[in-house]
Amino acid sequence: MFIIRHIRSFLIAALGITLAAVLALSIFGVSLGIDFTGGALTEVAYEVRPEKVAVEEALDAFDLGGYSVRGSQDDAGADAYIVRTRSLAEDERRAIAVALEALGEGGTVTRFTSIGPVIGEELKDKAVWAIGLVALVIVLYVAFTFRGVTKPVRSWAYGLITILVLAHDVLIPTAVFGVLGYVAGAELDVLFVMAILAVLGYSVNDTIVVFDRVRENLAANKAAEKDEPFAEVVGRSLEQTFTRSINTSFTTLLALLALYIVGGAVTENFALVLMIGVVAGTYSSLFIAPPLLVTIERWQRNRTPKEEEEVSAAL
Amino acid sequence: MADTDTSAPETSQKMHLLRAFGVLLLGLLAGYFVYATTINTDSRYPFKLGLDLAGGSHLVYEADVSSLAEAEVNDAMSVLRDVIERRVNIFGVSEPIVQAEESSVVSGAAQHRLVVELPGITDVAAAVDAIGETPLLEFKLVNPEAPLAGVEVTTTDGVTTAAQDTDVERYIDTGLTGRYLERATLVFGQTGGAGLSNEPIVQVTFTSEGADLFADITSAHVGEQLAIFLDGQSISEPVIQQPITGGVATISGNFDPEEARELVRNLNFGALPVPIALASTQTIGASLGAEVLEKGVFAGIVGLGLVMLFMVLWYRIPGVVASLALLFYIAGMLALFKLIPVTLTAAGLAGFILSIGMAVDANVLVFGRMKEEYEAGKDSRTAAREGFSRAWSAIRDGNVTSILSAAILFWFGTSIVKGFALVFGMGVILSMVTAIVVTRTLLVALPVRRMHERTPLSTLYSSGFSRTKQD
Repeated sequence: MFIIRHIRSFLIAALGITLAAVLALSIFGVSLGIDFTGGALTEVAYEVRPEKVAVEEALDAFDLGGYSVRGSQDDAGADAYIVRTRSLAEDERRAIAVALEALGEGGTVTRFTSIGPVIGEELKDKAVWAIGLVALVIVLYVAFTFRGVTKPVRSWAYGLITILVLAHDVLIPTAVFGVLGYVAGAELDVLFVMAILAVLGYSVNDTIVVFDRVRENLAANKAAEKDEPFAEVVGRSLEQTFTRSINTSFTTLLALLALYIVGGAVTENFALVLMIGVVAGTYSSLFIAPPLLVTIERWQRNRTPKEEEEVSAAL
Repeated sequence: MADTDTSAPETSQKMHLLRAFGVLLLGLLAGYFVYATTINTDSRYPFKLGLDLAGGSHLVYEADVSSLAEAEVNDAMSVLRDVIERRVNIFGVSEPIVQAEESSVVSGAAQHRLVVELPGITDVAAAVDAIGETPLLEFKLVNPEAPLAGVEVTTTDGVTTAAQDTDVERYIDTGLTGRYLERATLVFGQTGGAGLSNEPIVQVTFTSEGADLFADITSAHVGEQLAIFLDGQSISEPVIQQPITGGVATISGNFDPEEARELVRNLNFGALPVPIALASTQTIGASLGAEVLEKGVFAGIVGLGLVMLFMVLWYRIPGVVASLALLFYIAGMLALFKLIPVTLTAAGLAGFILSIGMAVDANVLVFGRMKEEYEAGKDSRTAAREGFSRAWSAIRDGNVTSILSAAILFWFGTSIVKGFALVFGMGVILSMVTAIVVTRTLLVALPVRRMHERTPLSTLYSSGFSRTKQD
């Protein structure tokens, strides 16, 4: 199986991509949306949109500290501005809405969100907990499901590989989003966290299918008293599941692509994160997890050669 | 699974066809149900749209429970909920949601919140004003040791004022607040010795608990002053002349008749048991919401089309079966959305579209196995059966992780996240069910062929690109 024949290349490539992602994150960081930092977001749609300086002048009249104004097109096709400020009290909100609507022509506030800093902090905490919890539960589940498989690789190895795969699958979309945040102003919000959690659940799906095949083939070999090298068992399992993995990811990507292209601005970033996550997840299930499995088995074999020989003879 | 069809092949074929037909009929019924209830705007089962699709306002108030004992908090929060809900209902919102919420265990001190969702109300200013009219009524004892602040106190002797010593708390909480209020009435009558007649007086009647509390306070503090606070302002500080056991108190605060009437009305709609502050607001315009919905639905249709096209092109006959199963799945999900009902949000819709792409997963797993069996020489029906039984453990294990993440997402979230988690979790489960029920039944009902027969039908059972040999 070509993946198994070129384990070293694929693992190096995976390492390279992961390092690039880490680098990107440390350089660009991630920009947190108001869901996590607290603050207010006002979207004003216009029939005739005023100049940005006019908007900024109007906002300067209020004691807002830092703020940002971004032009956008809302889903109804109208030209709009998205104004991000610190969180606003009710009277401030009204005053600003009136001021912004007075500019240009036909201005109406179509969307407004104000999140107090306490709620924002709490949401951030919860997000981190949720991601950690999902990852933990998944690893435990994998370890539990593969608890019976001790030869030639111990069951904890499957759990360990799962952890690495999950970390990779979270890292890549986050890094891409960090770059996008720097370049295009994309912000991390609750939808992003939801997408990551969905990716976690989904990508492990793929990995489990491959592991499941390996387990099945190992059992079949044991029953038939066939002595096949582990690397070949993994290679064969990969071959058998390859088409399936590609196809399922492909159908999911088709649906997500539709969502991204025609689905509207609100879920656009959400669809993007999911797409990157699905691709990263498939890549890690096929090109990272099996090579790691074979590598672990080799390390184990090299450390206790005598024991492994006896085991092979017994099989 | 052994193939036991050899004894009476004709009858078995009929059974299979009957089952297949039954399944298709079920799907059609579900689809018709969805269609009929969507077209009919008065139907009892409309789609329930969340705020970001229907437009509306989402307000979060923080409740200050610092003056309450631990045990009283839940009670107070539920009174708060009722009071605000009554207020919101007057406002004429259809299906408002008013919910008490406690901040989760992972953050610091517990905070109690009230979440108010007003679908269709985009003028959040008016909503906040209406809620803001709910009065906060408190009774506090004037500390006899605290010097009088620059407050006019009318005693039987006259008016006296003095500077305040800011170190000593002037007012002592008694715990008697608006939550013990049963009723307020407007009375015209006389007060004190000033000789004003027909002054509007607000008479408050306490609940039996409140009456007891009031009796205790007044008995223990005869001669002291009991300050009446309305919305944080002291409006009157009468001297307690004698213990009042009847549970009725009068508030005379130099009201004019209109003020008094309004106060009585507001008190009767409910007085806040605890002070509240607006912590977060969200409004979405209805037209924006409608646009998001339209785009979401369109994306769903396009996604469905693409997936079905791919399945048919790659998997051929099994692909057609999978597409039918997919349609069944969608009809089933939509019907469940209406029946449960599930509140659809933009994220929920996205989750639904995601699940469409994922729903074929089980089918793909089965078809892969089926192809192996088929190319190994088994007939198509046996291959289908074997494919299912062998693929099942992988299907189950893989989907469990998705369900687990959906469960945790559900715990994590605000209503938007909950919507997504519910749709995602439901989608995974239902797609497993449809794969088992629909795909299997349909596949097994198809005419039996073997690969080596090389009839048009037999080649169509295979999928993708055939290998010449397995390596």
